[in-house]
Amino acid sequence: MKIERKSWTDPVLIGSVTPLAAVMLFFFVIPLVMTTVLTFQTTQYYRLAWTWDLTIWTEIFSKPHYWTIMLRTVSMALICVVLSVLIAYPCAYALATRLKTYSTQIQILIIFAFLTDAVLKTFGWILVLDNNGVLNWLLAKVGFPPETLNLLYTPTATMIGMLYNLAVYPMFTIYLSLMRIDRDLILASYDAGASRLRTFFEVTLPLSKPGLYSGAVLVFVLSLGAFLEPRVLGGGTSPMASELIRQSFETRVNWPLGAALTIVLIVIGALTLAAFGFFTLRRKATKGGAA
Amino acid sequence: MSDRFKGALVDTMLIGSIVLLLLFFYAPIATLVAFSFSSSRVLSLPMEGFSFEWYGELLAKPDFLPAVTNSAAVAAVSTVFATALGTAGAVAWIRYRFRLQRAFQVVTFAPLLFPQLLLGVVMLLWFSVLGNWLNFSTGLVTVIIGHIVYITPFALVIVAVQVFGFDDTLEDAARDAGANGWQVFREITLPLLWPGIFSAAIFAFLLSWGNFYVSYSLAGTARTLPIFVYSGIAVGSSPIYPALATLNLVPALLLVAFAEFMRRRALKRQSAAVPTA
Repeated sequence: MKIERKSWTDPVLIGSVTPLAAVMLFFFVIPLVMTTVLTFQTTQYYRLAWTWDLTIWTEIFSKPHYWTIMLRTVSMALICVVLSVLIAYPCAYALATRLKTYSTQIQILIIFAFLTDAVLKTFGWILVLDNNGVLNWLLAKVGFPPETLNLLYTPTATMIGMLYNLAVYPMFTIYLSLMRIDRDLILASYDAGASRLRTFFEVTLPLSKPGLYSGAVLVFVLSLGAFLEPRVLGGGTSPMASELIRQSFETRVNWPLGAALTIVLIVIGALTLAAFGFFTLRRKATKGGAA
Repeated sequence: MSDRFKGALVDTMLIGSIVLLLLFFYAPIATLVAFSFSSSRVLSLPMEGFSFEWYGELLAKPDFLPAVTNSAAVAAVSTVFATALGTAGAVAWIRYRFRLQRAFQVVTFAPLLFPQLLLGVVMLLWFSVLGNWLNFSTGLVTVIIGHIVYITPFALVIVAVQVFGFDDTLEDAARDAGANGWQVFREITLPLLWPGIFSAAIFAFLLSWGNFYVSYSLAGTARTLPIFVYSGIAVGSSPIYPALATLNLVPALLLVAFAEFMRRRALKRQSAAVPTA
């Protein structure tokens, strides 16, 4: 494919770039800046006061309550990353190597479930996980005592919901990088006498790392903002950061506090992304040096 | 253990993992559909009988139809904008090289890496401050803007895949045959990108239609369908929500079937156009 170098005086470039750039600048970049600015203000009698001080930040750093919840959020996110990759990898691998004939249909099924209204799906999980729900009913049918699992309104239920909503992302990133692997490399490995297992661990797995890592990072960043799952399925018993943010807006009407908590989460996510970027760039650099 | 047996075992496990995944993905959806036809008000098993009662009750809810209209309006408008902006952006991403391109790429991709709730909150703060200055409050318009920011990167990525596999010799041929820039775009570029644009539009519509987080942050007092459900289940569960979920599947199914039909037609056309392939 041909790549065209365009100058900013070219009307075609201006036409295709400026509308989108303007939307993102005005409704995404400026809001981010504004959120940061708001963390240096305070509220007085439920109204925003432009005080330009560090009140909110001292409050956040002096209350362990916030950090307990932040820590819980990060650990839930990490657990979610590990589990969703464990779920996603074999599925992506099966999709890329075994089920080629039905691959499109299966992908459509997965995307269809993914695009169904998240609130309704979460409500569906209540019906499945409830003590008198579908899961316990099925377990009772096969001989377990009634109400075997008490899952609803526990962190486990939250995790099930998060995996449900996020496992799709690593599935597709891993699938894409598996599809890009040159089949000849795998055949070469077989020719050299490597077993299937050895070929998988020494050729396929390393070559699918880009998809694995980007999927993992995506799940981590997105699960930092999980809100429906801890609230509806976790029953609010072990709130995550999103709940704090919601409270600071709705219950306490404290915008600067909500803004500061949002910034904390964004910084955690951004640092993860930056570490990921640094790591992959360095790997590329060392590989380039070796070649 | 023989190699053949091991191979068969691995195959079974891999295919089994996909089956389990689909079961996992469809467990809550199937449950909702099943319960929507229950005749009992209590949502527990075993189900007592079959009825369409809850569909009637759902339609009789005074705030249901306004929520549907709002969702449809929001989804339609955001789909048009997100698809158009995403398509233009995708071409600029892949085919052009220009100053500040890196910044353009970062800014247009970043919303994809944002948890939706935070995206909503960040925009809510901006609209609240702006609203204070210019005297407006959040509502459907701010929801649409929020959806455009959230959905355009998805549309961009989907169209970008199409742009990437684009055969530009056809454009050169058209230009050699004397077509001007606009004609090349209209007759060659757009039809070739059409499958990607089309999938992007469907994806955008469904993402907007089912979106909760961004709408919840930016809707003010207006209600879209997911907000209607959220505030409903916060009060207590009722069989009208399974009924709603089932109804909700119908337009999505139609859209997906339509998309699949278009994809097949495009494939057929391609193979007809290139007999050697």
